[in-house]
Parts: sequence; structure tokens; C-alpha cells
Amino acid sequence: MPLIKLVNITKRFGKITALNDINLSVENGEYICILGPTGAGKTTLLRIIAGLLELDEGEVYIEGQLVNDVPPEDRNTVYMFQQFALFPHMDVWQNVSYTPSIKDWDNDKINYVTSEILEMVRLAERRDAYPKELSGGMQQRVALARGIASGARILLLDEPFGALDARLRVNLRSQLRALVKSQKLTTIHVTHDQEEALMTADRVVVLRNGRIEQIGDPNQIYSKPRSIFIANFVGGANFIEGNVKKVDDEGSLIEFRDDFQLRVSTPSTNVGEKVVVTVRHEDTLIRTHPVIGSNNFSCHIESRIFIGDSMVYVLKLENGITKSSKGLLSDNYVIHNIGKQRIFSFQPGKCLIFSYPQTGLLQEIEAV
Amino acid sequence: MLLKPKKPVSSSKLVVWITLIGFIVLVLLPTFYLISYVFLEWDEVRFEVFENPIIGDENWKQMLKVLFFSFRLSFSTVIFDLIFGIPLAYILARKNFPGKSLLEDIVTLPLVMPTSGFGFATLITWTTVAGLGGVLGLNSGLIPLDAFIPLVNVPFIVFIVHVTLTFPYIVRTLATKFRSIDITYEVASRTLGANPLTTFRKILFPLSIPGIFSGSVLAFARSLGETGATIIVAGVSSTASIAIVRWTSEFKLATASFMGSLLVIIAWIIILPVELYLGQGKRSLNVPFVVPISLTNRILKFENYVSKKLSRLKDLVPLFIVAVTVIVPILAILNSVILYWSADPYTGKIEGGVWNQLFGPSQYFNILLRATLTSIIVALVSTFIALCISIPLVFIIERKWYGPPIRSILKIPLIIPTSSLGLSVLLLWVSQGFNLIGSGIWLIILTHIVFAVPVIVESMIAAYEGSDISMYEDSARTLGATAYNAIETVSLPLIKGGIITGFILAFTRSLGETGATFIVMGRDITVPALVVNMVEALAIPAALFTSTYLIILSMFLLVIIRITTRGP
Repeated sequence: MPLIKLVNITKRFGKITALNDINLSVENGEYICILGPTGAGKTTLLRIIAGLLELDEGEVYIEGQLVNDVPPEDRNTVYMFQQFALFPHMDVWQNVSYTPSIKDWDNDKINYVTSEILEMVRLAERRDAYPKELSGGMQQRVALARGIASGARILLLDEPFGALDARLRVNLRSQLRALVKSQKLTTIHVTHDQEEALMTADRVVVLRNGRIEQIGDPNQIYSKPRSIFIANFVGGANFIEGNVKKVDDEGSLIEFRDDFQLRVSTPSTNVGEKVVVTVRHEDTLIRTHPVIGSNNFSCHIESRIFIGDSMVYVLKLENGITKSSKGLLSDNYVIHNIGKQRIFSFQPGKCLIFSYPQTGLLQEIEAV
Repeated sequence: MLLKPKKPVSSSKLVVWITLIGFIVLVLLPTFYLISYVFLEWDEVRFEVFENPIIGDENWKQMLKVLFFSFRLSFSTVIFDLIFGIPLAYILARKNFPGKSLLEDIVTLPLVMPTSGFGFATLITWTTVAGLGGVLGLNSGLIPLDAFIPLVNVPFIVFIVHVTLTFPYIVRTLATKFRSIDITYEVASRTLGANPLTTFRKILFPLSIPGIFSGSVLAFARSLGETGATIIVAGVSSTASIAIVRWTSEFKLATASFMGSLLVIIAWIIILPVELYLGQGKRSLNVPFVVPISLTNRILKFENYVSKKLSRLKDLVPLFIVAVTVIVPILAILNSVILYWSADPYTGKIEGGVWNQLFGPSQYFNILLRATLTSIIVALVSTFIALCISIPLVFIIERKWYGPPIRSILKIPLIIPTSSLGLSVLLLWVSQGFNLIGSGIWLIILTHIVFAVPVIVESMIAAYEGSDISMYEDSARTLGATAYNAIETVSLPLIKGGIITGFILAFTRSLGETGATFIVMGRDITVPALVVNMVEALAIPAALFTSTYLIILSMFLLVIIRITTRGP
């Protein structure tokens, strides 16, 4: 039995439909990331699970029980706000022992539980500090400790790294995951940062305009995106618009601008259909000679961007379209100079094919 | 784990209902009863005001004259306040200098100052030899009591009192508004080449229009309703508020309530468009017409010139005004008490001394003690009851869909002239309405509740909206707190500062309230009303002492506000 089950959840704010027919099951102990751009409905969904927001249609089940009418304090969930919402008039100790003390546990138990948990998040020495005296990372740990001390088995994290600076964010991701996993908590983590989602989650739920676009493990989401939107939002890619010319045993042949042709190993359905082919930047190569068995296009290097561990090139094909290629800067990596003639090459197996979106390609990739 | 479905929350419904009923009966009803009374007693109004067999419509003419005078006074007061209040608010919001918090306290002082005592202090300062006149070596007051300001034709001394009492509304509202506007806009404008004055005109001013309006509304309403200080300094001239007091004391209740209704309605006709405009949530005002380039250039040149030459002046003049209107009167009255302590310093008679009047045959000291007790009981009880209504009311205002209209209705008691309010309460509870209680301490308490509720609610709302209460409450809820628990352990502690500030503001206002109290008090006299009585009985030294006593009391309370709101 799934721990949390959402059935046909719909939520409207006036004329805007924030969530549209959401179905999702979360297993006990699972770490789920809900990933989506701003305004996708991520926070709304999280607040509905917590009981902080009433839904218009659908059902929320926790431990198999319908909780639509159960108030937030009885749902066994704890909601962690982006700003952590540590009570400013209470010190660290009072914040962490908040639930035990309002539930009137006996003092020994409160003391034991609170000090155990403070020890665990390495904040035992700061027990008398007030929230504003702590750094962002410490505040986050206090918020987590407070959530764990509440005894709730479900942790709802709303952009937990949003209020922290970029370097700290990366360091804390794995710490957070390790901590909640060690406590065997079930976690739903909302973020707009694809890297964060891929690094922390067991499963990623991609949300867009109030609908679930794809659910899958990080690897699936990255390598088998179900839509152009996801391909672009998670990782980024080259997009090539074209028409299906031929479908055979080896896949499809796509014709794009100026009768250029490329091979995709997945067979597409209809000959003549307008499609978009995607290929990840890092799945492309820049060579001096064509690569056998790959799609090869002659191009020249327009510009390049140095990113530290890798280099991104902007290339112009002979039919005038611009594409990008990313290469890891390993020891034997050849750096190409701007203006040089090169071959842009990628394997048919690395390509994905999507039918052309009704609203146009730009709409899909610029809505991020 | 057992998940309970939501229980029907009957107890919280009950709290909401009790609060709303208390609010309607104690706060709203008295403010609206006045107007309905005019219709109920229309025959009497017609007889007294329009068709009096002896004097015809003389009373009506008198009313128009008084109303016209009142509005002239309030308008000129607000304009003067704005001219000098804007620079002062700017200094308080944007500059840092030693003594800034002291300056803020001094600006706030008239808000908590008992008006009758303060009016008396101002009177001493300007028109007697014990004030500025004496300091400057004249043998009389600096200005005669009947000096008029040309153009607007209002008495100088009344104007000064009104400016002093309304100035804090403009300065505080605007300083808060200025602080809420990100300073980077101004910095951007300066780096783009605009001088400070042009920056103010093009950037800060348009952005703070709502603040300017709401401050002006408060100041205007305060001036229109001011009774306590005005009654002491007005001399022969009469404002609408004072006229209501006089008619009430002559038992011409219908006339007085007709006048009060006129005042309230006209005030609303002026204020309502501003409120509606503010309610639309507009953030700025765009000038709807095009200014010709040549004029713009001339304005810019002027602003460049003024920015360079007069920047000091703009800082110093408002400070000078605050010093002269607030500090000097306090010093002057202290000085007078010392001068008059044992005997009249000019005639040498001990009957003219403070000591003799307090402890001599007239026994003013005993009356003063009694009045102090009455005042404190009134202030404590009314503020406490108001607090009981206000705390749940704030939560209703913030959370229920009908909260915003309640909040705007709450402005009515703030702008209703205090003497009209007193009359209204008197009519409702005593003579014509419920006929439940007589004049006296309970009626004073009922009157003070009416203005204490909006004062407390406003300062609580400021605290509520200043901290992200709903986030903290949601957080507490998911941590296992019930709605009631969350309010008790999280929300109330977080807005504690606002509650205490509201309590003290309402308490001091009750302590100093004169206009309404004077009408409803019967035999239970309060200290500010005692000052008025003393002045009318020409017991000047006793009035001096009582005013000083009141002023020191309220300054003491202001210090407490400072300490309690400073906390973490």
C-alpha cells in the first residue's frame, strides 16, 4: 500500500487551474522530487498534501485513509518552508521541542528526544541561540530537526535550498538526503532546479502548468524525456525541426532545412509527419573527419564558452542553422579554434524524436 | 497513527460571533446612531435650526459659519503639515544621526499628549508673559490671543494647536511609507544625474502618494474632531466640534446631533474619494497632462539651485517647528508651575499660587486625586475591553473574506469628531436610545471603547502584516499544533509588540481624551476634563499644575512604549 496516494487532484484559483487531475503514489521511505518551472503548481500540490490548502476535486490518502477533511496537525506530515519558518521568538531548543511540548509529553522524554535530535544535526552547542543568530545552513538543520522531532513520517520540503547560497546548496543536497534516509522518512521535495532533483531523488515528478509530464527515476527523466519540454528543462539539448522522409528497419530518416538529412534509430510512425529531433549537447562530437555510422555535418565554429570542466561550442551548419556541442575537458581533449571548419557528428541512437508541438517549438522550450 | 476527521469547530464559531456582536454594538452602533437620531427627531431639528419662532434660521446661519470655519482650519492645517512634514519624514526615514530616536519620540509625543493640558501649555507659551513673550523680554505674550492668520482667517493660536496635534499623523505615516520604498530607486535616479529635489519629485513623491493621502486623511479627521485643546485656546471663535459641546451642555440635543451628523457626512464626502482611491491599491499617481518642455527646464533649474543652496534649510525648518510646537510649550508650562508654585509672581497673592489652590480652600488636590482615579479606571477598563474585542477581530480581519470591509468600517470611529462621538454615545445609551445607564464612569468607558478598538486593531495589524504570521502558523499546524495552539504559541507571541503598543496608545488616548468625555461624564470628572473646568473657573495655577501632571504621565507612558517595542 502506498504511503501517500493522490487521486485526480484538481485545484483552481479563480480562473486559473493550478493543478489539473494529478495522480501520484508515493511509497514508504521514498524520496520524491517534484520538479517544474515557476508557476507549475509544485507548492500548491505540496500544500494540499500538508492540508494547508483545500482542494477542489480529488482525494488525498495517507496510509490508506482519506484525509481530505483532516486538519494539517493530524496528517502526520511536516511542511518545511523555503524560509524555514523557525519561530523567531523561540531559541533553537524551543523550536526543536515545539511539537513534544505542545503535545504535553513528559519532561524527560522531551529532553531526551530533543537533545538526541540536536546532536544528530550537530547543533547541540547552539541550543540557546535564536534563529536570527544562525547561518542559513544551520537554520535549515534546525528546521529539519524540528520536523523530525515532531514525529511526522512524511517530510514536505518546499525549495529547501532556495534560501541558501549556491555553494552551500550543492554541499547540503547529499547531507539532506542521507539524513532523511537514515530516519526512514518519506520525503516530497519541491524544486525548480533540475540538477538538485536528479541528484537527490529516488523518483522525479516533472510538473508543468498543473499537469504531470513525466514520472521516473532520474536516469529515465534525463535519458528518456517524454517531451520536448522535459528534454530542454532537464539538461538542455539541440532541437532540429524536420519531416519524416522514410521509415525502415534501422529507424527513420529525417529531412530538415535545405534537404539535409539525418538518421534516428527509433522508428517514427508516419512518413511525412513534422517532427522535432533532439540530441543532448554532450552526446555530440566535433571531429576533423566524418565518423562512420553517425550523422555527420560539416560546420564551422562560431564561438565557444569555457565552463571549467567542459567547453561548449556554438556551431553553424552549412544550411545556416546553429547548434551546440559540449565536450568534457579531459587530458587529451583537442580544443577547436573559432572559425575552423569541422564535422559535427552524433549517433542516431542518441537522438530522440517527438512530433512537432501544436503550439510551436519555441513555446515548448522558452516556457521554462 | 489515527487520523481524525475535522471536528465541527463550534467553539471558534462562537468566538467569531461574540467578537462581531461586541464590535457592532460597542463600536459601530454608537457611531451610526447619531445620524439616525436626526431623522427620528426631525421635527425638533426643524424647530430649533430652521424655523425658530424667535430667531428664525439664525442657528442654521451660525452652523454654516462654524462649519466653514472648521473646514478652513483643517485644510490649512493639513497643507501646513504636509509642507513641513514631508521633509521631516524624509529625514527620519532616510538619514541616520545621533538623537534620531529621541527626535522620533518628540514627534510622537502629541499623539499621547492629553489635549486639554497640551492646549493650555500652548496657550501659556504664546499668549502670556510666562511663555515666549517673557523669554524675549516683552511685557506681554508674544502674540495677542486674537491674532489671526491672514488669507485663511483662522486664529493663530488655534492653528498652532491643530498643527501640533496633527503633525505626528503626517510625519509617522509618511516616514513609514518612505521606509517601505526601496532606496535603490533613489540611488538609481541620483546616479542617472538627478539632484535630490528632482529625485524626490520624480521618484519618491509619486511612489508615496498613497501614504501622503492616508496621512492627510488622518490629520484632517483629527483636526476636524479636535475638541480638548481647541476649547481651551479658541476664545471667542468656535469650531464645529466645540459648537456641539456647547449645544449639548445647553441640552439642545437635536441641534447638536444635527450639527454632528453634518460634520460626519461632510467629512466623509471629502475623505471617501481618497479612501476609495487608496482602496484600489494604486501604487503611484501619473500626472495625466503633459508639462511643456520649457517649463520642465525651468523647474529643473530651480530644483538644481534649491538643492544646492537650501538643503540645510529643509532639514532645519521642520526641526525648528517641532521644537517650537512641542518642546517649548512643555518647558513653558513647567516654568509657569515653578513660577506660580507658592504665589502669583505678579500680584504676590498666595491665593494665586499652585500650592494654595491645590491644598487651600478650593481643595483642588482632592478633586485631582479623584479625577486621576476615574481616569485610570476608565483607561484600564475601556482599553481592556477593547483589547478583548480587538485580538479576535484582527484574526477575523486577516482571515475572513469579510475582513477588509470591517477594516475600512473601523476608520469611521477614527475620523468621527470626538464631541459628536460623545453625543452619539449619550443619545444611544442614555436619553433616547437604550436608556440603560446614566452619564458617568460607565458611559465614559463605553465612549472610550469606540476609539480604543480601532487604535489597537491598527497597531496589531501593522505587527501582523509585518511578520509572516500565516507562514509561521501553517508551520506550527503541520508540526502538530491545533489552530488554537498555533495562535497561542506562535501568532500572539509574535505580535506581542503590536498588542502592547496598541494597548498603550489606546490607554494614553483614553487618559487624554477630552471632547467626548466632557459630554458623557456627568459627575465623574476625568483629569483632562478637569483642566477644562479649571480654565473655565479661571483657576489658572491649578490648571497649570494639572496639565503638567498629565503631560509628565503621558511622557512616562511613551518611555514604556519605547522599551517594550524595542525587544527582540
